[in-house]
Amino acid sequence: MALATLFGEAHLFGAKPNTPESGNIHPHTAKASHLKPRAKNVIFLFMAGGPSQLELFDHKPELNKYDGQQVPSEVIEGFDLPFIERDAALMASPVSYTRHGECGAEISEMLPHLGSVADELAIVKSVQTDAFNHAPAQIFLHTGHLQLGKPSIGSWVTYGLGSDSRDLPAYVVLGQTAVSGGSSCFNCGFLPTVHQGVPFRSQGAPVLFVENPAGVDDQLQRDTLNTIRRINSERLRTVHDPEIAARISAYEMSFRLQTSAPELMELSQESAQTLAMYGADPVQPSFAGQCLLARRLVERGVRFVEVSLSGWDHHSDVVGSVRKISQKVDQACAALVKDLKQRGLLDDTLVIWGGEFGRTPMVENNPALGRRRGRDHHPNAFAMWLAGGGIRAGTTIGKTDDMGYQVVEDPVHIHDLQATVLHLLGMDHEQLTYSYQGRDFRLTDVGGQVVSKLLA
Amino acid sequence: MLPLLAERCFLCHGPDEESRESGLRLDTRRGALDGGVFPGDPDASPIIRRVTSKDPDLQMPPPGSGKNPLTAAEISLLQDWIEKGANYELHWSFRPPERPKIPGSNFSRRARSAIDHFVWARLDQKGLTPAPPADRHILIRRVTLDLTGLPPSIEEVDAFVNDQAPDAYEKLVDRLLASPQYGERWALWWLDLARYADSNGYESDRSRSIWSWRDWIINALNIDMPFDQFTIEQIAGDMLPDATPAQRIATGFHRNTWINEEGGHDWEQFRYESVVDRVHTTSTVFLGLTMACAQCHDHKYDPISQREYWQLFAFLNNADEPDFWVSDPKIRERQQQIDAEVARRIAGRAAKFPPLDPATTTSTDQESRQKHLKTKFRAWLQDPSNRPIHWTLLDPRSAKSAGNATMTELDDHSILVTGDRPEVDSYQIVYELNSPRVTGFRLEALPDARLPNYGPGRGSFNGDGAFVITEFQVDVVGLAPSPAVDSALETKPRPNPTQQRLEFVHAYASYKEQEISHSIDGNKLTHWFIAGGAGQRHVAVFETKGPQEFPAGTRIRVTIPQNFVHQQTLGRFRLFVTGTPGPLHPNPRPTSIDLLLLKDPEARTEEDQISLQDYYLSIAPELESYNDEIQKLQASRPRFPTTFIFKERKQKDKRATHIHVRGEYRRPADVVSAAVPAVLHPLAAGAPRNRLTLAKWLVDEQNPLVARVIANQLWQSFFGQGIVSTSENFGVQGAPPTHRQLLDWLAVELRQGGWSLKSLQRQIVMSSVYRQSSRIPPELAKRDPQNVLLARGPRLRVDAETIRDIALEASGLLVETVGGPSVFPPQPAEAGETFGGFKWKPSTGADRYRRGLYTFRKRGGPYAAFATFDAPAPNTCTVSRGRSNTPLQALAQLNDLVVLEASKAMARRVLRNFPNSVTDGVRRAWRLALSRPPTESELTALIEFHKRQLQRLEDGSLNAEAIYGATANDDEQLRALAAMTTVARLLLNLDETITKE
Repeated sequence: MALATLFGEAHLFGAKPNTPESGNIHPHTAKASHLKPRAKNVIFLFMAGGPSQLELFDHKPELNKYDGQQVPSEVIEGFDLPFIERDAALMASPVSYTRHGECGAEISEMLPHLGSVADELAIVKSVQTDAFNHAPAQIFLHTGHLQLGKPSIGSWVTYGLGSDSRDLPAYVVLGQTAVSGGSSCFNCGFLPTVHQGVPFRSQGAPVLFVENPAGVDDQLQRDTLNTIRRINSERLRTVHDPEIAARISAYEMSFRLQTSAPELMELSQESAQTLAMYGADPVQPSFAGQCLLARRLVERGVRFVEVSLSGWDHHSDVVGSVRKISQKVDQACAALVKDLKQRGLLDDTLVIWGGEFGRTPMVENNPALGRRRGRDHHPNAFAMWLAGGGIRAGTTIGKTDDMGYQVVEDPVHIHDLQATVLHLLGMDHEQLTYSYQGRDFRLTDVGGQVVSKLLA
Repeated sequence: MLPLLAERCFLCHGPDEESRESGLRLDTRRGALDGGVFPGDPDASPIIRRVTSKDPDLQMPPPGSGKNPLTAAEISLLQDWIEKGANYELHWSFRPPERPKIPGSNFSRRARSAIDHFVWARLDQKGLTPAPPADRHILIRRVTLDLTGLPPSIEEVDAFVNDQAPDAYEKLVDRLLASPQYGERWALWWLDLARYADSNGYESDRSRSIWSWRDWIINALNIDMPFDQFTIEQIAGDMLPDATPAQRIATGFHRNTWINEEGGHDWEQFRYESVVDRVHTTSTVFLGLTMACAQCHDHKYDPISQREYWQLFAFLNNADEPDFWVSDPKIRERQQQIDAEVARRIAGRAAKFPPLDPATTTSTDQESRQKHLKTKFRAWLQDPSNRPIHWTLLDPRSAKSAGNATMTELDDHSILVTGDRPEVDSYQIVYELNSPRVTGFRLEALPDARLPNYGPGRGSFNGDGAFVITEFQVDVVGLAPSPAVDSALETKPRPNPTQQRLEFVHAYASYKEQEISHSIDGNKLTHWFIAGGAGQRHVAVFETKGPQEFPAGTRIRVTIPQNFVHQQTLGRFRLFVTGTPGPLHPNPRPTSIDLLLLKDPEARTEEDQISLQDYYLSIAPELESYNDEIQKLQASRPRFPTTFIFKERKQKDKRATHIHVRGEYRRPADVVSAAVPAVLHPLAAGAPRNRLTLAKWLVDEQNPLVARVIANQLWQSFFGQGIVSTSENFGVQGAPPTHRQLLDWLAVELRQGGWSLKSLQRQIVMSSVYRQSSRIPPELAKRDPQNVLLARGPRLRVDAETIRDIALEASGLLVETVGGPSVFPPQPAEAGETFGGFKWKPSTGADRYRRGLYTFRKRGGPYAAFATFDAPAPNTCTVSRGRSNTPLQALAQLNDLVVLEASKAMARRVLRNFPNSVTDGVRRAWRLALSRPPTESELTALIEFHKRQLQRLEDGSLNAEAIYGATANDDEQLRALAAMTTVARLLLNLDETITKE
């Protein structure tokens, strides 16, 4: 019996829509519309903790004027501040900004490398979200909902588009997966488990359980799998359950994953030049190495790669701390964009950089918490950037008020961002739905508008 | 007709008033007749013109709406319906089930129960034939897995296969239903619905203790608690008359929601979110209704308005969420032992006082000891540094929490703070001063069993029982209007005290003294922070700038801002005032001792004297090590475990429930009172509108839904899909039942059978339908691939937890302890890492091999192997699990440490019984995993595999020690164990091993 015909073998890791997924009792039909896709893959550089837009992208020279003054109460009226007091003082940023590239994008001194790819970027200085605590905001960024149990954006994308990889999961998460929002950030919610974000380690065996147990060599593993197949096949001939066929091919694919995974992780295969461009060490795990790995995954057909980096929650010494983490991030992010471009992958690959919220223009000083010259969580206006995959390169959109507190031009809500990402992948965010518990759910809940200014 | 209208029209012409287009409403007859439908005259009816129109401006559903146009067949259905009068019938599930007549079929001869007749009548119609009965080996494994979640032992299989008695199967079923493992298996069903977890979720995701509730479920299922009682106790057990501890523990059902403990959060918002979740869970679990849709707007399809949603919310909005100490006789015994020992040692203190001159006195010389004690005690009494302060306890007149916490005055005039748990708070308490002179105040923070970790604070984040005092402020506000004072006024008017804020110049504390000055420094960012001193009394003293004089009856308002993070506010406290001149450095003495010290020594009674000496003995430096021992003993007193419960708030503290515009927390609108949706049965007449009434309403015999919904969930557990395949949605948008009469029959059976789950399950597994073979004839695979018509038995991959249990049972490793705290089976270290440094520390000993049910459910990072096998993340109520089939599952099963340990244990087990015959050993191993005997070719495949591995072990290309470990008598035995380990690992990876066939 031709097993592959019994089950869409090639897509076991990221079942294509309209493939009847065995045993799934929920209706499972992606309603991807007929938009022309601009991107095929996504690399989401998730900066967990809330990077300070004021030290990175949102240049506010006017803030110098107000430095040390109490924030006007009308500015913050109706908004919540988790840690700081309502009479907190505004704090100017001592960071200098330079214009980069032909587009003249303003990027701070913290990100010199990123400046070198400014003409590839679309910087959004007016992102808004609905939550001001880490876990809810991270879950909102990923799932579009504050309520729990909804699928992550990576799951939605693989649900809508399936995967081109035979050997690898469709949605891979690299880096620090132990984020505030926990596994809910990468969870498939009510979508079938095949759409779950699969965490990859950046060293050694990438996937959980991918290594043979002690004493089991490849020959024994192969012999075991052959014998399992022999016995399962006999049972299939007796009971005719297609699930057995699916299991047989799943076991075969697990072996392929076991053999292909080590090769995938071999960063030493990359040229010295490439490694140097990222600042990656082929042996020591690093954010740079993960960015490089993200490219290798995309090359191998993985649909959605997320690189997660914690450490952006700068309640204290915001300037020093942003400087420190930027040194870890800047070169690798710029290298990723360049590398994708050089290899002709940037057109098909959408790169997104950002965190769950930004930081207040007001200072956070709190002796009891040991905090000095930090910034608090700020959901009203923060910055992200996108590149590749149908993005209008060399643009900056969105404007905030003099204090950087409120958006005054081109607000981009998280739902708008999500709608735009789906749009670039050829999906209408209102049509990509999944019926669960009596309701058609979508990533963008009941909101979201494609941000046309971001489209090429 | 209704499903068609619902699907195509209700989005714009349904119950939701706000999104209704052109004022046309098609979900009620009245609405339809008002402009859309002319009964008896389809041609004149606008609806027909619209659905048949090709004009994009007229056509319905409109192009681009995402709704398909009606097919010709659908249009003719619609015409026919209008022709016949456009009668609206209530949606089927809203009409109460009635016991249907049992149909006959061609297969009636083989039928054993009504279930068979219902299912086979349908098969008959479809021209299908029931499958033959399942092989007995298969059947016992199927029913044992279904009823206990474990595979049968080989002995049980053989006994059943060889039991020729006509009631052999019945006996088997009854044995399984009576086994303690039954409750564990079915608890899994309920835990998914209840979104049970052992951690709080969100960023902090701290571990919580609520396993007592899980054990309550196991027990309730094992004793076959009637489902109505099961429901009432879980929803409102705390409100039953004379509620027992077990009934309170049961209310943990709705405490399985997430708790946000991230610093700087808005507590009320997340409480609101948890009530939203409770409404959703209640309606999904018991009503099969998607009430959540009506949180933001009127339901688009079902007749539930937004107002009705919030009215239901009101029932669940009035509970406090305390911890509950779960009494345990073993712990209590230990506590009593310790208490007795402590009392004994305290009583023996005087006799342990050292003698005057140890060198010259014998250890038995009590006289010398007594004398010495007397001398020292007298010296202490006269020591000027012990200067007592005359503290007068103040009686609070009113107390208020800015964060809406509940303030209750206790008999000792302390205030206990319970209820809402705001992130930060500020208390205002009004007292009256009746002593003329004030030099200072003493705030006493008291421990209490009702507070986290015994308090005295309410903080429950990395420092349970912690609190802060940001500022301590006293304002003189005026004179009390007391009658006694008023009458005095008539003769001699009292001077009104000046309204003022008192100035404090010194603050002292019995604990963290270096921080107490923060509470009078006027800085709202600095605090007296009590962490680490949980369960103890702490005292702070605030000394005024010189003595202040006030007329009797002066009213003061004490304000205590507590402005830190993590709900670190005072839980129980009282206030004293003094006129004793400063310095007022506090002493650790209880007030009663100070009062005795203040007494004229001549006036002290003998009892006073004893109290003073007892106190002295507790602090005498001579007894320091003796007293330390007593303290250590007291500290070793074990506490009962806690669990989360509901406690209904008092009428005076009742929360108001608002409608929220678009469901948004920050947009409260009209206040509503508790009520149930009008489309369903009414509340019992005259019953109070509270949670208990709601609980009873859910299982009221008039409820058309609950029995159907629960019967359907049980059916789904056995057959993989419900009779209503959308087991979470019985509304208009839900799937119609595949066997409507069967469902109603089951529902009536359940209700009339005393709500016994076990009898309904017994009915199901006793049926011939259930006992059919699950083989799939190719013809049937085409006609009914999903087995909707049940022309064969179920063949389904088992749940994640059961996969583990099968491996442990087959290997003999399984530890069958029922209940207790959750455990941590081993998993790769990186799988257990979550935010905040939580480490998954693998259990050792027996807890390593407990059933999957007991695996710690970590919200931020679920146990990896279970997540891989579709165990839902415990976020929200899950009515049905996915059943995927992926390469990652293959990797988990091949390489998970649990499977490896089980493989080794299985090899040991087999070789113990069959040390000399590979064939017998392999056959045994096969049966441990699959119950049935292997076929010849299956056995051959395995024996050949074994032979190849043994060969390689012997020629050294495989390392036995690496595979098995080094615990064997000799090399030969080690090789045999290693070879059998590879066989066992293979067996645990067969499709059939993890399948209920």
